[in-house]
Amino acid sequence: MFTELSDTNFAETISTIETGIVICFKKLCPHCKNMEKVLEKFAKKNAGVPLFNLDSEENPKTMEGLKTDRIPTILVIKNGTVAAQKSGLMNPKEMIAFYEGV
Amino acid sequence: MTDQYKYELVIIGGGPAGMTAAIYAAQAGIKTVILEKSVTGGLVNSTHTVSNFPSFPSIHGMHLMEKMREHVDGLNVPVEEVCELEKLELTSEMKTIETDEAVYETDAVILATGRKPIPLDIPVECEQVHYCAICDGPPYKNKKILVVGGGNSAFDESRYLLGIGIKHIHLVEMMDRFAAAQSTREELFSSGCVTAQLSARVTDLVLEDSNLVGAEVEDMKTGKKEMIEVDGVFVFIGQHPNNELFRSQVNLNQQGYILANTDMSTNIPGVFGAGDINEKVYRQITTAMNDGTIAALAAERFLRNR
Ligand SMILES: Cc1cc2nc3c(=O)[nH]c(=O)nc-3n(C[C@H](O)[C@H](O)[C@H](O)COP(=O)(O)OP(=O)(O)OC[C@H]3O[C@@H](n4cnc5c(N)ncnc54)[C@H](O)[C@@H]3O)c2cc1C
Repeated sequence: MFTELSDTNFAETISTIETGIVICFKKLCPHCKNMEKVLEKFAKKNAGVPLFNLDSEENPKTMEGLKTDRIPTILVIKNGTVAAQKSGLMNPKEMIAFYEGV
Repeated sequence: MTDQYKYELVIIGGGPAGMTAAIYAAQAGIKTVILEKSVTGGLVNSTHTVSNFPSFPSIHGMHLMEKMREHVDGLNVPVEEVCELEKLELTSEMKTIETDEAVYETDAVILATGRKPIPLDIPVECEQVHYCAICDGPPYKNKKILVVGGGNSAFDESRYLLGIGIKHIHLVEMMDRFAAAQSTREELFSSGCVTAQLSARVTDLVLEDSNLVGAEVEDMKTGKKEMIEVDGVFVFIGQHPNNELFRSQVNLNQQGYILANTDMSTNIPGVFGAGDINEKVYRQITTAMNDGTIAALAAERFLRNR
């Protein structure tokens, strides 16, 4: 369900996406796992929105560029750029509101 | 249109109690579903090292719960995660559970909702106040933090936080002694990176541009307040039972824990309690699994004898 991004391909991939969502996560992080499930639910209702993930520990350069070290961090991609980003847990309703508010 | 489902048994909560109950129920041929508000694993997901679970001398809590989940999946028990339960009607023979997406009808229910951390009682919204060291600790590497609480959880989590590179911990406990085991205390204090204050409480947080810069700590004996410079606050001051959904229907003790009988039955026929949500003395993974086992077997007997 998630396409993996890395420091090597993050900028290039993002620039080609019209609309999408990225989760910056860490392994063995309960909140990240929870947020992944929220995104999977979100994707079922928004079939055209692709999901990506980025391991924050393995990709410090991208995290530095995003000026955050908090996880999970959700990025909403619109027209090839990071249009909005938010750290912390959201429930499915909050996630939809965040996405639609961009 | 809302989806409608019919099950013999609905398990609410997918921690070790709920998952164990699901394994026993599935093996007894009971049509069962787990409804989980977050993700399966419960509190154990946030435990860095579990070292008292028989057969695993040392295992990350999330790994242990992944193994338990694989067992549940292997028995084809459906699990609904990130499932918001909105209404529970337990008292009639056919019980109904309304979620944000579906309505479930069921003959029996196991309540295995566990507990959640007690929040810090400060009327300040602050993103740097946390309740899970594994989840939120890493950004504080080389920084200073305040830990609130002096029990085993506070000391265990502080040890983990030092292990990931926290520069300094100031630990604050309201009582005049630490409840944590002596060996745990000695281990933490021997690091040389921890200062501690007894008979003290956090009374305010100091923010600059919405970022935490310090916490105001009151010495409860003298009333003197002091600002401690910290970048983050981690709170481990105990847990509250997750009973909001059913507290008007199920008999609870004064603290809000389910008054379950030895077979985990409650005051309502067909409704069982299991795990940390039950009134009990010791709350551990193994005791939660014990309750889950008994609740599933008692539910099976209840369903058979209807
Ligand atoms: C810091 C800490 C460290 C610990 N370390 C250990 C240890 O090393 N060894 C050990 O044996 N025990 C340990 N414990 C205790 C152990 O984690 C618990 O006893 C055990 O998790 C209880 O299992 P449970 O299934 O009853 O509840 P939980 O694990 O709390 O699971 C309850 C589940 O119910 C879900 N839920 C809650 N409300 C709802 C709702 N309304 N709808 C749907 N789902 C809901 C929750 O999301 C959760 O997934 C520790 C506890 C803490 C706090």
